[in-house]
Amino acid sequence: MEEKIISKEDLLNLCKDVIGNGHTLITPGKTEYTVVKDTSEIVLDTTAKPTKASYKTFVFPKAEPVIYYKRGKNDVQLLDVEVEQKKTVILGAKPCDTNSFNILRHLFNWDYKDEFYNVREKQFIVIGLMCNFSDNFCFCTSVGSSPVSDKGADIFLVPLDENNYTLRVVTEKGGEFIKDYSKYLNAGDEAKTKAVTDTVKHPEIAFDSKQVHEWLGTNFENPKWDGVGDLCLSCAQCAFVCPVCHCFDIVDEDYNYTEGRRMKNWDGCQFGHFTLHASGHNPRDIQGKRYRQRVNHKFKYYVDKFGEILCTGCGRCSRGCAVSIDIKEIVSNCKD
Amino acid sequence: MDNIYKPYLAEIAEIIDETPDTRTFKLKLKDPEVAKNFSFKAGQFAEYSVFGEGESTFCIASSPTRTDFLECSFKVYGKVTQALNRLNQGDTIGFRGPYGNHFPLEELKGKNVVFIAGGIGLAPVRCVIDNVLDWRDDYKDVTIIYGARSVGDIVYKQEIAEWKARPDVKTVVTVDPGGETDGWDGEVGFVPTIVEKLAPKAENTFAVICGPPVMIKFTMPVLEKLGFKEENIFTTLENRMKCGLGKCGRCNIGNVYVCKDGPVFNYTQMKERPQEF
Repeated sequence: MEEKIISKEDLLNLCKDVIGNGHTLITPGKTEYTVVKDTSEIVLDTTAKPTKASYKTFVFPKAEPVIYYKRGKNDVQLLDVEVEQKKTVILGAKPCDTNSFNILRHLFNWDYKDEFYNVREKQFIVIGLMCNFSDNFCFCTSVGSSPVSDKGADIFLVPLDENNYTLRVVTEKGGEFIKDYSKYLNAGDEAKTKAVTDTVKHPEIAFDSKQVHEWLGTNFENPKWDGVGDLCLSCAQCAFVCPVCHCFDIVDEDYNYTEGRRMKNWDGCQFGHFTLHASGHNPRDIQGKRYRQRVNHKFKYYVDKFGEILCTGCGRCSRGCAVSIDIKEIVSNCKD
Repeated sequence: MDNIYKPYLAEIAEIIDETPDTRTFKLKLKDPEVAKNFSFKAGQFAEYSVFGEGESTFCIASSPTRTDFLECSFKVYGKVTQALNRLNQGDTIGFRGPYGNHFPLEELKGKNVVFIAGGIGLAPVRCVIDNVLDWRDDYKDVTIIYGARSVGDIVYKQEIAEWKARPDVKTVVTVDPGGETDGWDGEVGFVPTIVEKLAPKAENTFAVICGPPVMIKFTMPVLEKLGFKEENIFTTLENRMKCGLGKCGRCNIGNVYVCKDGPVFNYTQMKERPQEF
């Protein structure tokens, strides 16, 4: 890993060049990650609260067509969907967001490869930014990350002083990208970076994810699950704001009598109809079972399958919950 | 770009009305190149779609040894099956598959086989039956026990007649008490009772069982009493699915996906699963 120093001014110049080169630049806006048209819109604030939604939608859109169809009298014609290939730079992603692609990649490439995801993900350069924000909902340190973690980022920024950032090249992809902008880079100083990162306050560790994993393995029928999530309104905002929730639906949409498209739309495991069979049978018929699935999927099943926790500890699901269900609290309670 | 969500197109070559609410489609894949290279194994499933209505999951009901048509049987229940039911011979549907694992028929050669099915649960069992019958010399005794609610609910009447006509297969069809008609020459009684009465021997035998959960629930203790080992009892599960590819996140039972790790499980594997299906 290579460390450089870049001035604030040059970082903005770099952004200008990125836009000038025809790439898409995304930064955290007031409520969500937004595409930057002009560098004056860029605010890099380590103390900012995580945006309401993650940037998942840029690689795995809320709704996207997977096939177009045209119906004739007896016949059907299928038309392919092309995914736009455009280099995209995410600037200022918090460590709890940068790790999301590392986690999602497994799912979309497990045996069958979902190229809709892959084509987009390959275009992405993730530039992470150290985080100085922490509230009662944050728990990145409980799921193996931290406010100074560069895990999942291609490039990582640490603010050194008023005018300068340390720019750390984390991945080969990041190195390849920064080559074009080397004129903005000066020699780095690892000791200085460390002096800054050492002062960052880490959220308290709320639970031991290994112990939670173990407990979940033997407590599927534990009475503790009764009533968990009973408050839930089944709105699934928790899944929609999550950087790594990935469940989806496949639905046909007709434009008119002869044409339409087949859509892949976000879905959520807290919806009652998510697992409802046509016969009326529903394996997860009550909210407690659905919340049990949510916790198990994130902290047990995904770990068993892919070796990763399906959670980045960003706390968005709890921060945005209308009835104050706090996943950190529930998972912390997964013990005897 | 490879598109795992893009279905093949298939033409409905023939429609068979099994019961008033159950139909079988004989399908032909439209692209000759795809049709030539298509292969699957007994127990695998597919996503069938009506464009404009959506996709639905059923097993492939025909045997892989019979390559003239791909067959599927469905009971009219929800949006997609209602749409399928409105289609006619010659219409085009979408077909995505084959997906999932299969019955270990190769490994089970040299054994006796007992098939136990109830209702539309005969569809996934039928493909295994036909597969075994096409490889008849590789297996010892073959017994088929099929139960339906009433005589009118019996599916695959033509196949059942063929199985009954074979001297090398023991076929028993039963209807629930009260479901018999005047001329009914089969058994009357619930499937577990009939299995107990017939008492197929458990030694060197594997069983394939599929049907409504209540049938399976009461047949399992009977099989255990007869001495069947759990690992020799196979069933095929169904859960709501969308992708069939292990991605959309709804068909899991604990940490296994029915679409990828299943749909075929033996009873030891079933018991290891959290009871959430």
